[in-house]
Amino acid sequence: MSSPAILVRDLKKSYGSKAAVNGVDLEVPRGSFFGFLGPNGAGKSTTIRILTGLIPADSGYIEILGLRLPEDEMEIKKRIGLVPDESLMFERLTGFEFLEFVGRMYGLARDVAIQRARGLLELLELANDRKVIGEYSKGMRKRVAMAASLIHHPELFLMDEPFEGVDAVGARLMKDILVDQVRRGATIFLTSHVLEVVERLCDRIAIINNGAIVTAGTLEELRSNGESLEDAFVRVLGAERQLERLDWL
Amino acid sequence: MIAAILRAQLLSMRLGARRGAIFGLITGLIWYGFWCGASVAIYLLAAHAGATVLRRALPTGLLLLFVYWQVVPIVSASFGSALDMRKLLVYPAPHGKLFVVEVLLRLTTGAEMVLVAAGATAGLLRNSAIGGWVAAPRILAPIAIFLLFNLLFASGLRSLVERLLSRRRIREILVVLMLSVVTIPRVLFATGAGPKSLDGLGPLIHAAALPWVAAAGSMLGESTWRALLIIAAWTLAAAWFGRTQFERNLRYDAVAAQATPLDRVPSARPTFSDRFYRLPALIFRDPLAVLIEKELRSLTRTPRFRMVFVMGFSFGLMVWLPFARLGETQRRGAIEQNFLAIVCVYALTLLGQVTYWNCFGFDRSAVQIYFAAPQRIAVTLQAKNIASMIVIYVEVLILAGLTLALRIGVGFGKVVETLLVVAVCSLYMLAFGNISSVHYPRALTPERVSQGGASSRFQALVFILYPLALLPVALAYLARYAFDSQTAFVVALGLAAVLGGFLYWMALESATETANKNRERILQDLSRGEGPVASN
Repeated sequence: MSSPAILVRDLKKSYGSKAAVNGVDLEVPRGSFFGFLGPNGAGKSTTIRILTGLIPADSGYIEILGLRLPEDEMEIKKRIGLVPDESLMFERLTGFEFLEFVGRMYGLARDVAIQRARGLLELLELANDRKVIGEYSKGMRKRVAMAASLIHHPELFLMDEPFEGVDAVGARLMKDILVDQVRRGATIFLTSHVLEVVERLCDRIAIINNGAIVTAGTLEELRSNGESLEDAFVRVLGAERQLERLDWL
Repeated sequence: MIAAILRAQLLSMRLGARRGAIFGLITGLIWYGFWCGASVAIYLLAAHAGATVLRRALPTGLLLLFVYWQVVPIVSASFGSALDMRKLLVYPAPHGKLFVVEVLLRLTTGAEMVLVAAGATAGLLRNSAIGGWVAAPRILAPIAIFLLFNLLFASGLRSLVERLLSRRRIREILVVLMLSVVTIPRVLFATGAGPKSLDGLGPLIHAAALPWVAAAGSMLGESTWRALLIIAAWTLAAAWFGRTQFERNLRYDAVAAQATPLDRVPSARPTFSDRFYRLPALIFRDPLAVLIEKELRSLTRTPRFRMVFVMGFSFGLMVWLPFARLGETQRRGAIEQNFLAIVCVYALTLLGQVTYWNCFGFDRSAVQIYFAAPQRIAVTLQAKNIASMIVIYVEVLILAGLTLALRIGVGFGKVVETLLVVAVCSLYMLAFGNISSVHYPRALTPERVSQGGASSRFQALVFILYPLALLPVALAYLARYAFDSQTAFVVALGLAAVLGGFLYWMALESATETANKNRERILQDLSRGEGPVASN
């Protein structure tokens, strides 16, 4: 049996006295579309940043695609595609130049990188935009970021709010691409606050709160009595409350 | 309103304040300690000088104060702190109050001159020859108004220059025009096409109607009221200038002014510049080649870099040309002999703030790609260093061409010597730059042409590092002078190169280790926004 795409045990990361990630256990099967949910400040982005090697963990066991982090950091990086929560792009390059850059950074030959960059820009309907990225809209940036995560044909995608700021047409296009990637055997690990998107795309979900996983399983296991994911999410977090009113508002 | 802005600024500075506080304190003490010393020296001079000497020296002193306050921020490409209007314009803040804050922030580029003025004023108050303490109101009022005039004028000038420099193409033309204003008369004198001396300028800069002359006259008790009226009129004019330019800046959209015109979007076919960017791939292999290529593309499209690049050769010439005797082939002094090397080293130091001192600055939060990609961070640092060297050498070649055109004793040998000298100096600069880039990273806004490159505490340290970095090469020149031997120069320069290479290697190792260890802090620092006041 092949190892899971992501295996995390007792992962911890603190900032001063505040524990951002406090003993996370996580197992993401290969070929799954995995939703990683949680309220703001729950530890989602910190977890993703640890998994991508951007920040070190304080302690814990991390295995990605059967390789240990941080020991096999370089090999892991070659095999993952990343769409971060904030812009990771060089604003003074055009979308095409940036994609070529990323391709070559991942070891592709220049010709291959150029060819793939052109194809991806066509696919994501950006081929006619030759402005520098600094002049792109937020949605266009996200599309370029997605293209950059695809260019080296990774086995695992780590995506932090990939659809944030993307219009309905662009989001549909991106979702179709991701679903196609999963169909071809890739694993997708994404965070999103848009629960309808997660509900439609993901087959497995984990919810993190205060730095620890509070529940994990398939979508069906998480929902009870046909409730929506939003209802299940609020219930799991124990966050149901009446709207309070301010006298002056 | 002002209190709220200042509080927000102080709170925004909390995070960075603790780290390096002692360091900032030491460099601050050195810099302002120097100016305090100058202030005391001026105090002693002013306190004991006779009335005749003061009548001659005070207007010139105030003129120098004016020039330093207004011109140095432009020449050093560092315009000081300013309000970040993108963050403030959403609030119903009266423009008048914002203008007051903006004017007060001009103290960030002229605090040294306030110290000097304080020393001079205290000296005059002590000097019985011009009235002493009894004449305090007569001495204090004009200097206070003169300082206010400088603040207001600096505010207007900053707004105007910043707006002009943020326009595509205009900034380059403006810098060349400024250069021409200074160099053309000099060239005319030297080539015999103009008058033989600058003596004619004397009466012009000492005319009674000028602010520094009027302020000096009033302080010395010469036609006090008339002089006071003149300086007050200048101050009102500066207030109008400052306020008008401030309002214009509020309505100005710098990002729109720098946007790529629709008819000038990069072509899909390789252009000349595209071929230039791809040159490193002929020598280096990926990932080094692609990183250098990316760096060159990004830098040449960054308004801030383009401005400093043009300033590198234009202001370099502007600053050093007055010290050189043009066209005279016989009696050549040290400056004429080494003119090209001096100007190139000046350009090297100026370019440092947009390249090697803070090499991740323009990448901002995108710096995480270097850590996320399957490459060693040392390769990124090397690529950035090589890209810096390429732009520095392009600058050197432009300067060599210009000095040849201006007939300042530059032959082929001098060009080669300069290339070697710049290479050796660069080893030291890049070594220090790599260390500073990982220890004091700071996000830079590419569109903000007035923003300095390094963090403010590091800018102070730069004043210490420059002499250190240039010392080995200076010693080589000293060896040539002392032994009157070119061989001594070459040997000393060779030793400096070996030492520089060793230092560069050690610094690269250290910077790589620090970057890997402190990657989290580096990402944080480069993603961090500023408060309502954008620092220089």
